Amino acid sequence: MSVQTEAGAAQAGRKDAAPTQDVAWHHRHVLDVDVLTWPEIELIMRTAEEMSGILSRPIRKVPALNGRRVTTLFYEASTRTRVSFETAARNLSADVVSIATATSSVTKGESLVDTIRTIEALGAEILIMRHSVSGAPYLAAQVFGGHVLNGGDGWHAHPTQALLDLYTMRQHVPGGDLRGRKVVIVGDILHSRVARSNIWSLTAAGADLWLCGPATLLRGLDRWAVAWEGGKVPGHGRFHVTSDVAAAIRDADVVMALRIQRERMQSGLLPSLREYAARFGINAERVSTARPEAIVMHPGPMNEGVEIAPDVATSGRSVVTEQVSNGVAIRMALLYLLAGSHDGTAPGAAR
Amino acid sequence: MSAKAGLKAGQAGQVVERLEIQKAWLVDPVAGREGPGEVVVTDGVLESVVWLEGDEASGVDDRGVVVAPGLLEIHAHFREPGFEDAETVATGCAAAAHGGYTTAAVMPNTQPTLDEPGILERVRAAAEASGSPVEVLAYGAVSLDRAGEQLSAMGELADAGVVGYSDDGACVRTPGLLRSALLYAGMLGLPIVDHCEDAELTAGAEANEGYVASVLGLAGWPAAAEVNAVSRDIAVLADALRDEPRARLHLTHLSTAAALDAVRQARAAGLPVTCDVTPHHLAFTDEWIAGSRRWSWEALAADGSSGDPWVDGALTAAPYDTSLRVNPPLRTPADAAACLAALLDGTAGAVVTDHAPHTAVDKEVEFGKAINGISGIETALGILLSLVDAGKLPLARAIAALTTGPAGIMAGWSRVAGTPAARPRGLTEGAAADLVVFDRADSWQVTADSLLSKGKNTPLLGRSLPGRVLFTVGDGRLAYQDPSPDQA
Amino acid sequence: MTDRQIMTGDEIRRAIIRISHEIVEKQAGTEGLALVGIQRRGVPLAQRIAAAIEEHEGVKPPVGALDITFYRDDLSLVAQQPIVKGTDLPFDLNGATVVLIDDVLYTGRTIRCAMDALIDFGRPRAIRLAVLIDRGHRELPIRADHVGKNVPTSREEIVHVHVAEMDGADEVTIARQAGDDTDRR
Repeated sequence: MSVQTEAGAAQAGRKDAAPTQDVAWHHRHVLDVDVLTWPEIELIMRTAEEMSGILSRPIRKVPALNGRRVTTLFYEASTRTRVSFETAARNLSADVVSIATATSSVTKGESLVDTIRTIEALGAEILIMRHSVSGAPYLAAQVFGGHVLNGGDGWHAHPTQALLDLYTMRQHVPGGDLRGRKVVIVGDILHSRVARSNIWSLTAAGADLWLCGPATLLRGLDRWAVAWEGGKVPGHGRFHVTSDVAAAIRDADVVMALRIQRERMQSGLLPSLREYAARFGINAERVSTARPEAIVMHPGPMNEGVEIAPDVATSGRSVVTEQVSNGVAIRMALLYLLAGSHDGTAPGAAR
Repeated sequence: MSAKAGLKAGQAGQVVERLEIQKAWLVDPVAGREGPGEVVVTDGVLESVVWLEGDEASGVDDRGVVVAPGLLEIHAHFREPGFEDAETVATGCAAAAHGGYTTAAVMPNTQPTLDEPGILERVRAAAEASGSPVEVLAYGAVSLDRAGEQLSAMGELADAGVVGYSDDGACVRTPGLLRSALLYAGMLGLPIVDHCEDAELTAGAEANEGYVASVLGLAGWPAAAEVNAVSRDIAVLADALRDEPRARLHLTHLSTAAALDAVRQARAAGLPVTCDVTPHHLAFTDEWIAGSRRWSWEALAADGSSGDPWVDGALTAAPYDTSLRVNPPLRTPADAAACLAALLDGTAGAVVTDHAPHTAVDKEVEFGKAINGISGIETALGILLSLVDAGKLPLARAIAALTTGPAGIMAGWSRVAGTPAARPRGLTEGAAADLVVFDRADSWQVTADSLLSKGKNTPLLGRSLPGRVLFTVGDGRLAYQDPSPDQA
Repeated sequence: MTDRQIMTGDEIRRAIIRISHEIVEKQAGTEGLALVGIQRRGVPLAQRIAAAIEEHEGVKPPVGALDITFYRDDLSLVAQQPIVKGTDLPFDLNGATVVLIDDVLYTGRTIRCAMDALIDFGRPRAIRLAVLIDRGHRELPIRADHVGKNVPTSREEIVHVHVAEMDGADEVTIARQAGDDTDRR
């Protein structure tokens, strides 16, 4: 596998190729990975590493966000991600309030804007939001006076997932350098915010990214790949879109499976989950064509037997549980960086 | 370049006692003439139209004050009855006049639906009560309650004076219903105005299916949905004509190159089908949803391919702005160029605004949940003048697209032809004054305050547009006057 | 802004030796001792003190590094200094006598944070404090057990400790600053 890919060449030509200790954090919100520069991504990686350190201590808590109020607002049910964010916030000693809209006044028809204004009036400083409509956090960012952290919006973005995926991958490649490494994401790419955010972060990292799935679930992605050909978008290399799963997985360093939802069958996009599993499922045979040291990833929750075979999910290659703990570290890192930006007090107050 | 205007009886709604515009650029699309000139209105009549020549004409060019016939809108939504929070006939007329329009034809998707004469009476009464000189015409629904099942009270509506039928907001639901409607309306000498959208392909759609929607994770609205419906309509029209030669079809707010091509071919084959395009499909593109604000022609590369806003550094605004959510959706720069080409070669006979005011409540929501529609009747002229400024469209063609173009389309509908509604719209001496005076040398800021419509849902908020409207006179009465002083 | 030297390399060296003797004297030996340097310049100082103790006692106490970034009570610095430098405590804190080591003692808030951080790692038997420079202006009831040099200062002045491991040379300087308060600790 040649390391001199277009992606690598694009990366090499970029200024700030070496990590620098002098990056300041200035983003008020984290809505997607697309506006983060590579040095900023590396800052997040380094901060997450420190947070991982905290998580391995007897007392897994630091007072960095002591007294700060964090509110999670999840319009889509998701226990795992919500608990991950809550844990991250509590590990930083923040006060956490969780709103699951199924039981809130949203069911009485309260608009998103009104809900956010209420949350702000109750003192929230950081709002962690998950919503089923793409773009909702951008509306929130316009209305909310504090910081918005996107926990996933529609099909559009899931920045914390992409960052924890990146963090996990870096731990398993030599030197933590993904340049030229083959990463393949297999599944329902069309409806996946995880895939889209990973496109931004992995192309920024210089990885050789492949997106794979049945043609109905790849609609429109090839157009995007073609638009980015030749490193046209500064800081981002091209990526491949294919329904040839054998070509996609061969010699891969990272194989990521995405969840296939039952609805896709019902809306006429897939014949059956069984057929998907047979033709695209990440099973032991397919994984054996990847590199010997290749890792297998999944954002969870997994449909074992559909997009990923049970034996692969629990094999030595699978880093799914690491993704979960890395998720807490990444979320702690982002909360820490957000809380420290645009602080009301003057810099350098007496200590 | 500077014009002098004198106005007496400066109260909106009242007959203009005297209005003199000197040394301005006159555009008369009926006479097919433009040039330096002067007009005088006395007691509501366009008393004189003088074309200047030689020395008198020196120093007057088409970049200053322009006098044109009052603009004709053949597709607007004034929301009354039923949605008065978003607009009323009165505020719609005020907005129309601010935009330079002296006639507006409104769509029947009110509540209750305008599917029988009683509702038309309510709209007429509201227009009367507003005191506005803007003439309000109306379309009746094709089907009862626009449900796509039974025909509306078409005959009664024709007698009551509708200018056509439309289920706008939705497509005429089935080919069978469309065929019946074309036959029946044709018999009455009126057209079917269709909003072409294959609803099955657009279920859940949020933005034009394309590169931008792919990146932004928005459900795609395929071009095929428009082309499909257009092809269906044309095929049904061809059939219907065999039985009723007076059948007429007008396809409104077309947005894709493919659909416009289909109309072009149908017209070349002699079918009596007309179409129109909107200012927003001419000037905005789906890039704007990503945060770009460059005009469509600025987003087009030399080879005609669409630019990439992420590459070109064109992103200047926040993404997912709901004022951009419209049906049909904003398309690619190449589609916008196709709309302009269609206008220039006559395939599209007019520019219509599809003025769709909405309340902030309906728009200040998540993009996918936002109601479709752009409030556009006040910004249409400014947008077309931007095209003129960019050298994309001659001034006279722009004016024609807003006057003789739509009038010509209406003249093709036999019941409407010959009525005042379909009058030619030129600068005719001796006729009731019906004109718009605007200054190309001056611009105006689009703000919530400067817009007279209740609908502030336009992505142009905060932007300045060329061509400040100074006066709009309809039927001899003052419909709009620019509030700023110094008309010496 | 003129820098005035208040300690030379030699003076620093002698102070370190004296402090190392004081530490052992207070402990009546080296048993149970652990030195923890506060990032950043407290760390090389802790290394040197440990080396000096080894020199005259023959036993080198364990040395650790403590990063208090996440224990600060002022998050406004995060935007400017988001980088953390790392905590490394390669010994068991429980029951140890930890001597915290820092370059400059000023308001005392850094030391308070350091004690919070330390206690999250375990339960030391005692915590002591050794600093190279005590510049006064305490805002909390914190006192150093061992001081290299007492330097009365005004709030408009900054004290800079330079160590060879990081700055190329050993010296302590004081300068009048133009209102930049980021160095307050």
